[in-house]
Amino acid sequence: MNATLTLTKLDVMRVIRNGRYLIFAIAMPAALYLIIGKQTATVDQVDFKSYYMLGMATYGAFAGALMNNSIRIATERKSGWTRQLRLTSLPGWGYIFAKVITSLVTTIPSVLVVFGIGAFLNHVEMPAWKWVVNALVLWLVSMTFVSLAVAIGYRFDPETAQPAVMLVFFPMALLGGLWFPLGGTLEKIGKWFPTYQAHKLGTDIISTGKVSATSIAVVVAWGVLFALLAVLSYRSAKEQ
Amino acid sequence: MPRDTRSPNGAVVEFENVSKTFHSPKGPVHAVNGLTMALQPGQTIAFLGPNGAGKSTSLNMLLGLSRPDSGRVALFGGTAAEAIKHGMVGAMLQSGGLMSDVTVKEQVELWGKLHPRPIPVADALKRANIADLADRRVDKLSGGQQQRVQFAMAIIGDSPLIVLDEPTTGMDVENRQAFWATMRERAYEGKTVLFATHYLEEADQFAERVIVINKGRLLADGSSAEIKASAGAKRLSFRLPGVQDAVLHRLPNLVSVERQADIVRLQTSDSDATLYALLDAGYRPAEIEIQALGLEQAFIAITAEDNNHADGTTTATLEAAR
Repeated sequence: MNATLTLTKLDVMRVIRNGRYLIFAIAMPAALYLIIGKQTATVDQVDFKSYYMLGMATYGAFAGALMNNSIRIATERKSGWTRQLRLTSLPGWGYIFAKVITSLVTTIPSVLVVFGIGAFLNHVEMPAWKWVVNALVLWLVSMTFVSLAVAIGYRFDPETAQPAVMLVFFPMALLGGLWFPLGGTLEKIGKWFPTYQAHKLGTDIISTGKVSATSIAVVVAWGVLFALLAVLSYRSAKEQ
Repeated sequence: MPRDTRSPNGAVVEFENVSKTFHSPKGPVHAVNGLTMALQPGQTIAFLGPNGAGKSTSLNMLLGLSRPDSGRVALFGGTAAEAIKHGMVGAMLQSGGLMSDVTVKEQVELWGKLHPRPIPVADALKRANIADLADRRVDKLSGGQQQRVQFAMAIIGDSPLIVLDEPTTGMDVENRQAFWATMRERAYEGKTVLFATHYLEEADQFAERVIVINKGRLLADGSSAEIKASAGAKRLSFRLPGVQDAVLHRLPNLVSVERQADIVRLQTSDSDATLYALLDAGYRPAEIEIQALGLEQAFIAITAEDNNHADGTTTATLEAAR
């Protein structure tokens, strides 16, 4: 266990040092929120600054969970690092454990930075418990993307992992309405994505304090699907 | 200290009739083919073979990274996984990756913590000659510097068996010397060191025992001197105008004959016997020179001879010649 925790600690530090993480998961959503978030409008029964805060926090959390790990796992498999780890007392599950914990830790700053901008610069107001519940819900939901990262990392090469991530994540972010609110057909499609429903969980908590069963069902279904893919990719990679 | 897990006969590493076949589009490749060997504690052993001889495949099976199709591999009398779990093995892989976004010190420190009885990080860095690189990012280092990081990782666990696959590739002369100086200290501490290398002079200088494999089979096993002897280790040359080929080919202990006008070059496993036979036959050669073959030439000679034989008869010939 000690060995696993040591690896986890170092893995977290590396992510924080990594420029790609800072840009995609923290700087980009924070900047977009600062630039766009101040419009006055009402979307999904909440004011735009709250709506966009949740969108950007969701985007940042998912990006943080997905981008680092997928590419790192692919790279470390290719470079022989994962093989090398098999020559130590680290248990077989230690590597994945470290990666999952790292994702769960590194989604936190993305959420906190965007929420911080919302609370202190854009004057988003809601009861304290709603802030806390919203942050926790986002954090839990981002676990679905932790599994997707593992699935992609074990399925693709370092060269193809990045395009694979973009191909899956950007349409989901766009159709999920994280970047700007959608209407009509696009929204009808978007409703099937975990990005849309994760975002909606947040706006529902702000507006009515009640979340819909549909949102939970969609998020859980994707979570199960991604976890299944992760297990399949991991197994087929081990057999090679 | 962990329990004494050495096998009854005391071997640190045992291969018993081990085979491994890969399936390529061109058909099956017998990477390792009935390999049997045992390594005793405290030995420094060089593992030699041409490219594709099965060295890396053997080392991978030794370390439990791949499974043999048949036969038995044992480390300290048990499985590789058990030995590794107890910190009995420190290894440096040819294809061993390193982390990105970490410093040399962090990387080596992590490795120490992944072993049960590590030596201090500072010691490992010093012995690997990378104390000055401690705060540099691992992914910004040159190939030779990364090799030294790998080396620090192989020794930080203070393991009784150290396995090195092509350890000095990419190192400059100075670092190669520092590397072998450290390796010698480890050997003096009673550690077993097994290394695969392309540099035959390293095997000649540092190994007490040399194991040569070719086409996945054991080809020669002994001290460097024994290997040289088994290869027809002397080169005998002289000037002898007008001698007939038939006379030369009748000489005893002959391995090969080469002629260039009046100059004759023979390879022989017993230069004295060969020369006396020539003199006894009434010939008086001039400009006689006897030269020992280096391990490199011996290695080339025995693997070339093996490649000329389609089947396993060469091994028997070599053993008879010893």
